This record gives sequence, structure tokens and C-alpha cells, in this order.
Amino acid sequence: MSDSTATPRAEAETVLRTDGITKRFGGLTAVDDVSVAVNEGEIVGLIGPNGAGKSTLFNCVTGRLTADEGAVFLQGEDVTRWPEYRIARAGLGRMFQETRVFGGMTVRKNLLLAAQEGGANVSGLLRRPDDSLRARTTELLEYVDLGGLATTQAGRLSFGQQKLLEFAMELMAEPDLLLMDEPAGGINPSMLENLIDYIQTANSEEEATIFLIEHNMEFVMEIADRIYVLAHGERIASGTPAEIQNDQRVLDAYLGRE
Amino acid sequence: MSTENDGGLLRSALSSEQVDRTFDFCGRHAWTLIAVAAVAGALPPVFGLREGYYMTVLSEMFLFGVLALSWDIVGGQTGYPSFGNMAFFGIGAYVTAILVTDAALAFPLAIVGAAVVVVVFALINGLIVLRLRGHYFAIATLGILLATQQVSRNLAITGGASGKILLDVPPGIVFYYFFLGVLVAEIAVVYYLSQTRFGFVLNAIRDDEEKATAMGFNTTYYKTAAWVLAALFTGLAGGAYGLFNTFINPQTAYNGAWNVELIAMALMGGTGTVAGPVIGAFGLHTVIEVVETAFVGWQLVLLGIAVIVTVIGYPDGVVGTLREYASEMEYYEYGGMAAAEADDEPEVPADE
Repeated sequence: MSDSTATPRAEAETVLRTDGITKRFGGLTAVDDVSVAVNEGEIVGLIGPNGAGKSTLFNCVTGRLTADEGAVFLQGEDVTRWPEYRIARAGLGRMFQETRVFGGMTVRKNLLLAAQEGGANVSGLLRRPDDSLRARTTELLEYVDLGGLATTQAGRLSFGQQKLLEFAMELMAEPDLLLMDEPAGGINPSMLENLIDYIQTANSEEEATIFLIEHNMEFVMEIADRIYVLAHGERIASGTPAEIQNDQRVLDAYLGRE
Repeated sequence: MSTENDGGLLRSALSSEQVDRTFDFCGRHAWTLIAVAAVAGALPPVFGLREGYYMTVLSEMFLFGVLALSWDIVGGQTGYPSFGNMAFFGIGAYVTAILVTDAALAFPLAIVGAAVVVVVFALINGLIVLRLRGHYFAIATLGILLATQQVSRNLAITGGASGKILLDVPPGIVFYYFFLGVLVAEIAVVYYLSQTRFGFVLNAIRDDEEKATAMGFNTTYYKTAAWVLAALFTGLAGGAYGLFNTFINPQTAYNGAWNVELIAMALMGGTGTVAGPVIGAFGLHTVIEVVETAFVGWQLVLLGIAVIVTVIGYPDGVVGTLREYASEMEYYEYGGMAAAEADDEPEVPADE
């Protein structure tokens, strides 16, 4: 499913495609003509040294920023100039680098809010969440080991637990594509093991498609089907983890020899 | 620190389990409790309290309940602290007064007219000021209040600085039931919304608006809806108040002291809850009335001290503090912070 050869793919299979995205901040070109594609059911990694433009690329995809040049296609639809909430509504989920949950709300309400059922139409919003939705929240909390904390305020959870909650929220939402910004950042090794497990299970059983930024090389090499490498805003390499590990340009970029 | 102190005080009086059970009970029987409160509120006139000081005090308690709860829809639930809510009150009061005197409309029709004007006003300025956050939002809303007050002072139709005297108004009992009815209706609406996804979105905006947007919510739409709802109830209260008071001028219609009191009430009772602002309004208004009779002229000093003590000692207010206390047991039982120590060392790959 995830061979990295450049055979043209059917449009339906490509969940996300960027076409020469360029984003400038004043004189600085943060992202320079970057094209990437994420296909259904894949886990794709995005790596690169600090300041390579990874998060800026993510922001252009999610609509937080608007690309100066190029286009973003989600499920074949041009979403380049859509507002952020509309892109999210169209099936794009996002986990932030600094872990963001709704601290003043209970853990269960965080999950109920994440559910996309009923969407944003008025009748769906003005109805109380039904029992099946509540049952699903309980199930997911058990799954990520947060069972029993449903009525606790999310802000009182530890950092690692908040990360798991944020992941559970994405499982609740079931986006067509999930963007994760450094999921392994700042969590302890045993919890990292769990997270890898959850991500792989979601990928294999729920067919979740994931595009992730990661600094932890071990983690990204283990989990990703394909990897894109950015440096100085440019895409300098792409391929399987094995190919990336032996790519001289990648090694140079990380060692600062460019 | 402060929460530990509260815990110590509370612990000696009642256990967190008892509080938890009370919250559970209130949650399960919320609609019954609202109905019981409505009936209880309707009883005093039946038993002969039809006029006089206590009648006025009770009416004003309901009125402040409406003002504090309305402020909390936007200030507490949505996290946009407004300092301009009295603008809605004043506009409601003036439009009703003008319709009753100059257009000779009956009170019920006049108040519907006032509600329409307030809603349109809130819709327009909401779309502008709700782009701002925090201090900027607070200052902008204060600007709205001062501007509307000035407009009322300058126009001829509003009676300028001397205001409008309203003769031939309905008896006090009409306003008693009107304020009670609006308060009960508002409690029901806010409680219902707090159980729906709409209410969850408002809380989400309060906690992290960017994340809410990234999850697919057009936050402008929700904020504006909350703002308009708050304006509607505040405007209804204002509309009735003008006639209840038989006189309005720019000072009473856009009362600066009330503008602070209604916020203090929501804070002291507990922002972001349904019961909190109402409890705060009843409690603080009672205290203010007592102080006003016993120590004339000192009520604002006392109000200031009460606000400072609340904000420092009980930032979550009465209801918020109790709720926190109630959830304590469950939290420790399931090892809330237990994993926190293990998470202290962030895993940054040093070898790459």
C-alpha cells in the first residue's frame, strides 16, 4: 500500500497533497516550494532540523496560515484558501506540539466535543449527546488507561495523560487525516511505548492516516511508512526510513554541513 | 495554597463525599430543582407580600440574578469578560420607556420591541468586539457602555440628562413576577445549553479558542450567539426596570456601580456554572442591602473588600470551590497526578 516509487496514484487514494507550497515571513522563506502527498492508510513522517519549516508547513495545511504560493488538496479538493475551521470540519485532525486539551472541562466533555457526529448544524448542537456517544467515551478512556477520570477536569491531568486524552479525542473524531506535531515530545519512555502501540493500532485497525512531525528518530523510523525531510524550508529527501537513514544529504543537514 | 486552606475549613464541616453526593443529586434532579425554586419564588405574594420594602428587595434579587447570569454566559462560560453589559440594560430600559410614553404601547409590546432592538445592537457590536480578547475585549465593551450612555444623554427622545419620568406603570407585583419569570427562564436555558454541544463549545472557547478552531468550530458564530443571548436577557431586565423604578436617566439606566456588582456576583458565586452567578447575586445583594441600611455609604467599600477576598481566596467562587472539593476524591483515587513525577524528564533525542 505504501510503496514509495513515484507511480501516479488515483486521486481518491491521496488524502493530502501539497503542490509547491511556499510561505514567506518578510524576507525569510520558511517553506520553499514543498510538495508532499499522504495516501490513505499511511503513516508519513516529516523530519528536519529546528527551523526547517515543518510546523509552518503544517500550519499551511491546516489553514492556520495561508500559503503564499502553491496549493493544498484534501481528498482531492483545493482547500488552500479555506478558513481553518472549515478544513478541520472537512476531515483534518490536528494534535499540537504543546498538547492542548480544554483544561476547565471534564475529560468526558473534551471527548464529547471532539465527536464529529451531528457536525455544526443547529439541531445537532442543541441536543444532548446521546448514550452511544457517552458509551464510546467510556470505551476510549479505558483504552488509553484514563478510565475513572471521566469527570475530572482535564487541566488537572499530568502532561502525559493530557497527551493521551488529546489522542483519544482524535480517535473520537476519526478524521480522514491526522496531523501530529511531535507526539513523542516530553513523555516518558514507557508512555512512549504505549503511544506507539496506540498509533499503530489506530493505523492498522481503524485505517487512520497520519502525518507526523517528529524529532525522536527511533520513534519515527519505527512508526513511519515513508518520511519527508525538510531543511531550510526545502524538501531535501523523501523515502522509506531505511532510505532516509542512508541519505547523505539528510545526514549533512542534521550535522549542519550545508 | 489557598485551595488547601479552603479544604481545611471545609473538611471540618463536611466531607468531600457529601459534597460530591450533593452535586450528583443536583445534577440528576436539576429540572425538578428549577421547578421547585420557581414555585418557591412565586409564593411570597400568595402569602400576602404584595408591596413595600421586602417586595422591592426580592424583585431586585431576581433582577440581579438575571444580570449576573447573563454576564456569565459570555464572561464565565465563554471566557470573554465584558465590562459593558449595562449597555444592554440601558438600551432595554430606554427603548421600553420611549415605546410606552411616546408610542403609547402597552408594557408587553414595548418590552418585545426593546428586546428586538437590544438583540440587533448586540449582533452588530458583537461581531466587532468579539474579535478582541482579554483586556482589549474588556476595554472595548466598556467603551460601548460609555458611548451608549453618552448617546442617551445627548438625544432629545431619551430626555437628555434629566431622563424620563414614567407615570401610570403596572403595579409592583407585575415586575416581581416578570423578573422571577425571566430569571427562571434564563436558568433553564443556560442549564439546558450547558448540557449540549453548544455549551461545550463555549467552554472550549474559554479554555483554548485556537484548539477549538482547529477542531472545526467557527468560534465567531458561537461567541456571537452567546453575546446575543446575554444581551437579550439583560435587555429584558432593563426594559422592565425602567417602569419598575418609574424613572430613568443616564445614571440609573447605565448604572456604573451595578456594572461592577453584577460581575462581582458572578465571580463570588462561581463563574462558568449555572447556580453560581444566581447564588452570588442573591448573597451579595442581601449583604449590600444590609450594609446600605446599617452603614449608609459604605456599601461600595464593602463590595471592594469582598471582591478582593473572593478573587484571592476563592477564585472559583462558592460553587466552583465546592465542585473542586467534591471531585478531589475521584481524582486521587485514580492516581490523577501519580504519573506526573515520571513525566518530568522530557525525552529529547540527544544523539541525533
